[in-house]
Amino acid sequence: MEQVRTVDADVLCIGGGIAGLMAAIHAAERGAKVVVSEKGNTLTSGAGGMGNDHILCFLPEVHGKDLKPFVEELRRGQMGDRLKDPEATRVWLERTSEIVKLWDSWGIPMKYQGRYEFAGHGFPGGLFPSHLKYAGRDQKKVLTKEALKRGVEIINRVMVLDLVGDGTTVYGAIGLNTREDSLFLFRAKSVLLGTGVVNRLYQGLTPGWMGNATRPATLTGDGRAMAYRAGAELVNVEKLEHHAGPKYFTRSGQATWVGVVRDPQGKPVGPYLTQPDRRYSDMIIEVNKTLFSEYAKSGRGPVYMDCRGISDEDYDYMMTWFGHEGFTALVNHLQDKGIDLKKHPIEWATYGMRGSAGSVLQNVKAETSLKGLYVAGDDTTRSISTASTFGWIAGENMAAYAKGVDLPSPKQGEELLKEKKGFLDGLRKRESGPDWKEVNITLQQLMSDYAGFVRSETMLEAGLTHVGRLKKEALSTMIAPNQHELMRALEVLNLIELGELVCIAARERRESRGWHERKDYPYTDPLLDKQLVIKKVDGKTAALWR
Amino acid sequence: MPPVIEKETCIRCGKCVDICTEDVFYGSEKKKTPVIAYPGECWHCNACVETCPEKGAIRLRIPLPMMVCYK
Repeated sequence: MEQVRTVDADVLCIGGGIAGLMAAIHAAERGAKVVVSEKGNTLTSGAGGMGNDHILCFLPEVHGKDLKPFVEELRRGQMGDRLKDPEATRVWLERTSEIVKLWDSWGIPMKYQGRYEFAGHGFPGGLFPSHLKYAGRDQKKVLTKEALKRGVEIINRVMVLDLVGDGTTVYGAIGLNTREDSLFLFRAKSVLLGTGVVNRLYQGLTPGWMGNATRPATLTGDGRAMAYRAGAELVNVEKLEHHAGPKYFTRSGQATWVGVVRDPQGKPVGPYLTQPDRRYSDMIIEVNKTLFSEYAKSGRGPVYMDCRGISDEDYDYMMTWFGHEGFTALVNHLQDKGIDLKKHPIEWATYGMRGSAGSVLQNVKAETSLKGLYVAGDDTTRSISTASTFGWIAGENMAAYAKGVDLPSPKQGEELLKEKKGFLDGLRKRESGPDWKEVNITLQQLMSDYAGFVRSETMLEAGLTHVGRLKKEALSTMIAPNQHELMRALEVLNLIELGELVCIAARERRESRGWHERKDYPYTDPLLDKQLVIKKVDGKTAALWR
Repeated sequence: MPPVIEKETCIRCGKCVDICTEDVFYGSEKKKTPVIAYPGECWHCNACVETCPEKGAIRLRIPLPMMVCYK
């Protein structure tokens, strides 16, 4: 890998998803020279790559001027946990209206039949429906076009593998061309991480079949791993996250379904709905996302998403939104197999431990704990609403920051580049050994068994040891015969690093809280109602309570 | 395993190769029928099917472990 392309930028966005493109557009509007590096292609990449059909937003013309009652109602649903910080909540929600107007003006239709339409993710009888239906099928195409229009340079098929910095400031990154034998050296005044969720860390519904995921399999927490290595602070690493959706065809977008969650006898599991109603998704899923696995484990299952009894109009409505939410593969499959949702209830499952491994710590300006490093999207929060808003906020702040700093000298980054080059060449040359899949499956097995639903001091200790051994083994024996497999191998190494951090953080939180369940500390300790910060200090992992 | 290309119908425009987020078609050459080098990495998003300008030239075969269980 002799060839290196050096790219200079005021603003480098790592990951061209919703957050990365929104930041890029805004920074370019403010006069910055912007480069987006993207592992796939920005037309289809990221969690929003195949579209979305609803976005959480606060529209004063619909909800009134007072944010307070809106937030209070929002607290009841699955977003409740993320509304703890009143300032972050206010900054985010107050800017959602701006995003809605912008997207509409760019050609993402935010109105349904000429008006704002709210549905899903709300309890019946609620006064402040929070999720706006929108036709987001082509959102990534639109955002890509808007970025290019403003002079943003988009470089597809690049995996950024590490940040360049000095432990306090970040001023660039090193990228791998995933199709040709070359590397990139990015010299940037400011850098945004927008690399998405962490897939492939835990076993999914089909162990070993890593493409059966709610998000693209390329999303492997690269941002979190490289932020950690650069010295940035991570939070909530010990938390587990769950989701629910069709079994075994893993898809997110639960609120697009117009149906009732029922047990095998046809009885609604929750108290909220008895008939499908287009205005509401069945909120019992948000009250308890693990209900599907609990029913199965106790022998009371299966549990169904039952759309029977839906009106013809509501069925057409649901199918329209299925298209925008990125369900077309599922819809085609249902048709192929003759599964008619008007006649057949389909089983649902809890998708265990999806998207865990915490967040890069950010403030309301999308700044991280390192100077020049910003973060937005699923690397920090988990929704298209926060991704678009904080991406937009990051863009304006990065452009302003870049005005006050000089471009780093060409020397900076060269040492790291040399080191990485040697490492990558070594991997490429190796002729026999386990490929990335073998390593990844082993990691998933260890994480699910030692740091999954059953957590305790002894299990986490043992898990940490095993993951450490796997890391050594992978570093010295894993093969990567071409650039594509080299990308996969680097992804797995990032996942291993995050796996270790999860074990360390989960061991440190000696209590049970939410889905972090410690068998040896079964109660929630009010004294530990604080943040656990994970960061690298003098080459070692430190866990700090704050 | 997904995706499946009908060689006779494919016009070899390379659009699927360009947009696949997983790079399942890695190593495909321009103006040739795309190679499905890494079928196991498909996440079944349907982007290739939706982007294909030639109806019926590409489809997804959903793997058996992903069967939808219904009553």
